[in-house]
Amino acid sequence: MALRTVNSSQSAYACFCFTPLFFQQYIPDPDIQNGCEAVKCKLNMKCVLPLFRCASWRERRVDRCEISINIPNSRVIFQFHCRHGITKTYNLGYQECEALQAVFPAHLCPNVLMAQSKLLGDIVVHFPVSQEEVTLSMSSFKVTFKTFCEEENNCIKGMNTELMLYPDEFDYFQVGEDSAVTFCLKELRGLLSFAESYSLPVSSQFGVAGQPISFTVKDMALEAHVVLSTLTDPNHESPSRPAPGDDCPVNIPKTSTAEISTCEGPMETEVCVADGEQVASSQGSEVFNPALHMRKMIQLHAPGEIPSLVPESALTTPVTPATFKIRSLLFGAVYSDGGNDKTVDLPSLACASDTEEDGGTEEDLGNNPLSSTLAVRFRLVFDLSLQMTSFEVRSSKAEEPRNRCGLQVPARNRKLKQPSILPAGNSRQSSD
Amino acid sequence: MKFRAKIIDVGCLNHFTRVVNTVSRLTKACVLRLTCDHLYFVLSGRVATGGVSMWCELSQVNFFDEFQLEGVSADANEIFLEVAPENLSRALKTAQNAKSVKIKLTKKNCPCLTLAAELPSLSSVSRVVTHDIPVDVIPRRLWHDFREPQMPDFDVSIYLPPLKTMKSVVDRMKNLSNYLVLEANLNGEMNLKIETELVSVTTHFKELGNPPWGDDGSQSSSPTHRDPDLMAEARVDIKKLQQFLTGQQVNPSRAMCNIVHRRILHLIFLHEDVSLQYFIPAVM
Repeated sequence: MALRTVNSSQSAYACFCFTPLFFQQYIPDPDIQNGCEAVKCKLNMKCVLPLFRCASWRERRVDRCEISINIPNSRVIFQFHCRHGITKTYNLGYQECEALQAVFPAHLCPNVLMAQSKLLGDIVVHFPVSQEEVTLSMSSFKVTFKTFCEEENNCIKGMNTELMLYPDEFDYFQVGEDSAVTFCLKELRGLLSFAESYSLPVSSQFGVAGQPISFTVKDMALEAHVVLSTLTDPNHESPSRPAPGDDCPVNIPKTSTAEISTCEGPMETEVCVADGEQVASSQGSEVFNPALHMRKMIQLHAPGEIPSLVPESALTTPVTPATFKIRSLLFGAVYSDGGNDKTVDLPSLACASDTEEDGGTEEDLGNNPLSSTLAVRFRLVFDLSLQMTSFEVRSSKAEEPRNRCGLQVPARNRKLKQPSILPAGNSRQSSD
Repeated sequence: MKFRAKIIDVGCLNHFTRVVNTVSRLTKACVLRLTCDHLYFVLSGRVATGGVSMWCELSQVNFFDEFQLEGVSADANEIFLEVAPENLSRALKTAQNAKSVKIKLTKKNCPCLTLAAELPSLSSVSRVVTHDIPVDVIPRRLWHDFREPQMPDFDVSIYLPPLKTMKSVVDRMKNLSNYLVLEANLNGEMNLKIETELVSVTTHFKELGNPPWGDDGSQSSSPTHRDPDLMAEARVDIKKLQQFLTGQQVNPSRAMCNIVHRRILHLIFLHEDVSLQYFIPAVM
């Protein structure tokens, strides 16, 4: 199961992949194993978060949480079995959507850092919570975290903090290229507190300024990635040769908060992006031009080859049709009709949860009794501080071409499982 | 102008941090006056702050292991800086377990107080955190604004009741009224009163004791001439009093207040190496 989201200015992406090991029981639809597509849907964050933030969690009254998907009614059902025999059931309507996956060739990044979550926690504590951007500089001798201030004037008002660390403080230190990347710290805090609660090490891959930076937390049962855009260095940035199939760049007006509008200008307008248009988003970071980054990422693999754009590609926020294509550049490249070869070439940041295991997932997979862990972990997942408007619930394999299929009760355990998958009284089978 | 100081002792660092925290809760901006022997956090009474003024004096020798100062000139060997104590407080907050903390006056894009804390780390070399706090240097011609306040000609001086008790009383009174009357006499009695259309509440404290100012104090009327039962009162904005009481992080060894009848409430908190004075003007 994968939860993915991206923020409104598309400068931050997060993905949490849970293998079936994470759950006490994991029962995917048998149709999915037979080659149909996985369920991909999106839910409104504002609807889901309160479910996991209510008093019952704090007081640990919840024993079990069941999540199931009812495709005929387009509902994701969260059922909480609480103490004293209380069961709370929430039916949330979802919207179908495309897969959202950031393409990030992590293994190509020149600089890699791995550290215990506690170390990173100790680092970020020095920066005020309101501090948005931070610059991470890396050289062979040291690593520096510094407050980032955009203009000279702002520096005068605020406090500047700088923290220097030496390579031997990290579990893994690889510097391919001396660089200084600036990213939004706020968005990282969520992942760091998640990692700290699990005492997992955090690894980070990045390149030079302008290239995204990724943070990864991995465990047997789950894998979490956060990819953040970084500010481009206006001195070094030069617009790359426009690749075929690209559309106009994203020009984000300074005053917009959630919407991203596009302009139908020529490729050369990307130069003005590097001048520092501000996004008045939660980050206040410079506009992340998905098109520019995407081209770079793709050009690392297959110069000039961009998968054809699917007009109905991923939409995360309701926008005008003109913005379709831009988003799909970043997030749809992995996913394209008939482009399976290309999707294999482009390593996905987050792979589908059950590509790691064999088929035949009808039985109970959870060998570990994780009864309350699921509950607790879910709550922590949703504590990410990204400004998200939607997230996706994907139940199985991702690379198959789209096809609607019903959520069927696994044949073998029909009697046992029916209540958990379908709401009471509903014994519908496939919806096609 | 040069200033460098270093704190090595953890206890001193914690104490200094608590003082700075207290100051930061009282005001958003204040003046830091540095002399060879003392540090002062000064807030001079202005309309903007509602007329409250604050004077916090620290003896540097009790906090710093190293202290070097070169003032504006030889005859005025002092430095006056306008600083936001909250920044200082934030910088000190994360340095509580540091091996050493160095503070110095630097010039980056603007004059700054740079705080460098050496933190313990896993590797052989300590981690260094540097905070640059922007400050404004105050020119000499404005120094007279920030002189030490004179002890007012008070009518009554009395020790305060236990801070915790007083704070909880004031907190509850704050919900009922915007103004509080504090009155006290030389018999060690103090009353906190509020009065509104609907309700009036008075809390009585007895046997508090009166500080023996005697010849040191600059009071014009000696205690013997004043009727010990006669109350001197000051009606103050309750929020200001509450702000002062809430912000206290250092438990004073002596807490007292001087009242100039219907003019000023002067609160004094004394600690071994820190003294804090707070003036709240009376309102009608």
